[in-house]
Amino acid sequence: MSVPGRKVQLATAAMLVATTVAACGGQDDSAPKAPATIPELTKDPLTLSFIWFDWPPAHALEAFANAEYTKERSNVTIKVKTVPNANWHDAMFTQFAAHKTDFDIPILDSQHIGEAVTNGNILDITDFVKKNIDVKAYNPYLLAAYGQFPQAETGKRDENASLYGLPLLGDTWTMIYRKDLIGDKPPQTWDEMISVAEKCQADHPGVSGLAFHQANGSDAAAVTYNTVNGVYGGNLWDPKTRKIDGVLNDTAGQEAMDVLVNKMKPLTAKGSGNWFIDEVNAAVAQGKACIAFNWIAASGGLLDPKQSTLGTTREQILDKLGFATLPSQKTNLVPLGGMGMHVSAYSPEANQAEALNFMKWFEQADIQKKWAAAGGVPSRTDALESPEFLNAQPFNQVYTDSVPRMRDMWNVPEYARLVDIENTNVNAALNGAKTPKDALDDIAKEQQGVLNASSRKGGGGL
Amino acid sequence: MSYSAPLTTDHPGQVASATPPAPGRSRRLGDRRLAVAFISPALLLLLAMSVFPLLWALYLSFTDYSATRGGPAEFVWFENYTAILTSPQVHLRALTTLIYVVGAVTLQTVLGFAIAYLISRRTHGRGLLTTLFLVPMMLSPVVVGLFWRFMLDAQFGVINSVLGSLGLGQVEWLTRQRTALISLILVDTWQWTPFIMLIALAGLTAVPKYLYEAASIDRASEWFKFRTITLPLVWPLLLIAVLFRAIEAFRLFDLVYILTSGGPGVSTETLSFHVYKVAFLGFNTGTASAYGILMVLVVIVLTQLYLRYLNKLKED
Repeated sequence: MSVPGRKVQLATAAMLVATTVAACGGQDDSAPKAPATIPELTKDPLTLSFIWFDWPPAHALEAFANAEYTKERSNVTIKVKTVPNANWHDAMFTQFAAHKTDFDIPILDSQHIGEAVTNGNILDITDFVKKNIDVKAYNPYLLAAYGQFPQAETGKRDENASLYGLPLLGDTWTMIYRKDLIGDKPPQTWDEMISVAEKCQADHPGVSGLAFHQANGSDAAAVTYNTVNGVYGGNLWDPKTRKIDGVLNDTAGQEAMDVLVNKMKPLTAKGSGNWFIDEVNAAVAQGKACIAFNWIAASGGLLDPKQSTLGTTREQILDKLGFATLPSQKTNLVPLGGMGMHVSAYSPEANQAEALNFMKWFEQADIQKKWAAAGGVPSRTDALESPEFLNAQPFNQVYTDSVPRMRDMWNVPEYARLVDIENTNVNAALNGAKTPKDALDDIAKEQQGVLNASSRKGGGGL
Repeated sequence: MSYSAPLTTDHPGQVASATPPAPGRSRRLGDRRLAVAFISPALLLLLAMSVFPLLWALYLSFTDYSATRGGPAEFVWFENYTAILTSPQVHLRALTTLIYVVGAVTLQTVLGFAIAYLISRRTHGRGLLTTLFLVPMMLSPVVVGLFWRFMLDAQFGVINSVLGSLGLGQVEWLTRQRTALISLILVDTWQWTPFIMLIALAGLTAVPKYLYEAASIDRASEWFKFRTITLPLVWPLLLIAVLFRAIEAFRLFDLVYILTSGGPGVSTETLSFHVYKVAFLGFNTGTASAYGILMVLVVIVLTQLYLRYLNKLKED
């Protein structure tokens, strides 16, 4: 080989070694801190980018922020980048993995916070919140759910814990029921709801008794099981001992799975085993379901006459559709939905400063009321109880009433794998691919395996 | 030729080319440098985009590295490989993938060859028919997935609507264990049968006509001509098409992602879809790298065996 050839070979080897060392180099696991006071803002044109999944609130946020925030900051343009719901986690975390993001404000599901914080991907905004946000204005549970990490064991906010986000959009499930088919009074217990749905289905051929999320994408089927689990007095895990096996699949958990698969599933439409938000809304809008469950923030389209066969005006639709809080049974727990906004650690300094300024602006009482009127679901107590929010949509009262009843999932770095295990197994049980007991035991066993594996070094991770 | 010499003198370019190289300048070296200059951008791109990631994945496959968890990568040697090869989950996905590959490729080969054979016997409208048959292949798999997701919807889909109008019951195409995998095979067949058809058609049109003419003179039957002339001559080309399709089918991801998300449960979760979950839901980068390397190895080994068979066939 000629000398230049050797040089090239050596240079290539050096490059490979250097890249290897750089890529494997230690990373700082602790989240970088945001300043307590907002740094001086730029006067140059700036685009503040969010990332969210594609649904009506994302478009509402972009329109609202560009209309209102730019009144104060005319050089700023707000861009809400959207991806399909199923890609939302991957779209954010692959960029976090690359340590470079094309967004400034990731809108994280409450359960994503652990994964984002542990790897230093979002800013610790504890000091900023202390100095700029009136934390007493919020239900402490909501503030904890959308911003605090580690998750409070009680669900309540720990005032000494660090905050990494602030609420952007609150959410929970609402029960949507056909007043013209089952009457004006919504069922009060889960058992009553099942029997009402059974009768409605029998009385109205072509209309299914129930419609709910069953898909194995995102967190669809998992939230459905978690909701029934909560209502029947079950627990998802013991956060103190990090024990899932033996807790999730205890007697209460098994009863919940039995109710879901053997009592609720037979009341759903044939082939609804892959339904999520849009499919449930479509079934309601086309008059194909007596009772349905869906996220409040995704329910606005139900009242649009263009998308509904239930009436030609909003009033006609409202004559047929009622919205209520979820029935209770052994407990009255409801699922916590919604998301918080956070600041990307990889965003340029000028954008991080603008992001903090936006958060401070957004969390003001009057802006939260305006956000509520624009279709958002606020988290400040004064906004939640304001006429602007309560009168904006017929289901908003449901949200306000549900806040004290909420229960979240596990907020741990292993969240994505835990929810996938639960989704696939609940989906399997709902579609006859596994027995309810096997599905529940498999969830408990596999999830426990993930938690156990995370505490030790080594391969695996399947 | 007698006029070759005057041509040289009449064309200045050719006169100039006859001039010997300047003293000290190596013409051979110049060519080599030129070749290096032309090749190096493509070579560097190949190294950066293909070779380096492959080597990098190979390195990561022996570590416990996670792209998001941070911290240095620690060598776990063959632990990832052992975990994958002994995992019942992986075995289940491998079986699903095998059923899918065999089912889809067999169906596509039979249909593709049959369509090609019928088209090749036509003299009029062959081009138009071929173009029409090729349309599904030109669509993005994501578009095909979404399109068929609506078509196969148990409640609102066209397929069940047609079945209903024929007095047949509704089929839960995408949400039942048995039908979900069949649906995937059918959709993939709809999209990729034209590929086999195209290759088979090329083979069929290349069969020399005189062989058929000779057989006709000998009063050979159509079946005899097909069995002794058509099939043996088209077979090697068809096997290459099968190889390409099998490799593609082995990597199936997009249709699963759009149509079933691997469900119900994990009954349509292929190896590729599982690798995606390991890589991006858990960000177990080391394990996912080992998984990917193993998949590449399986493809390489099977392809080598297949190519040996093809070569043997050619020699015979």
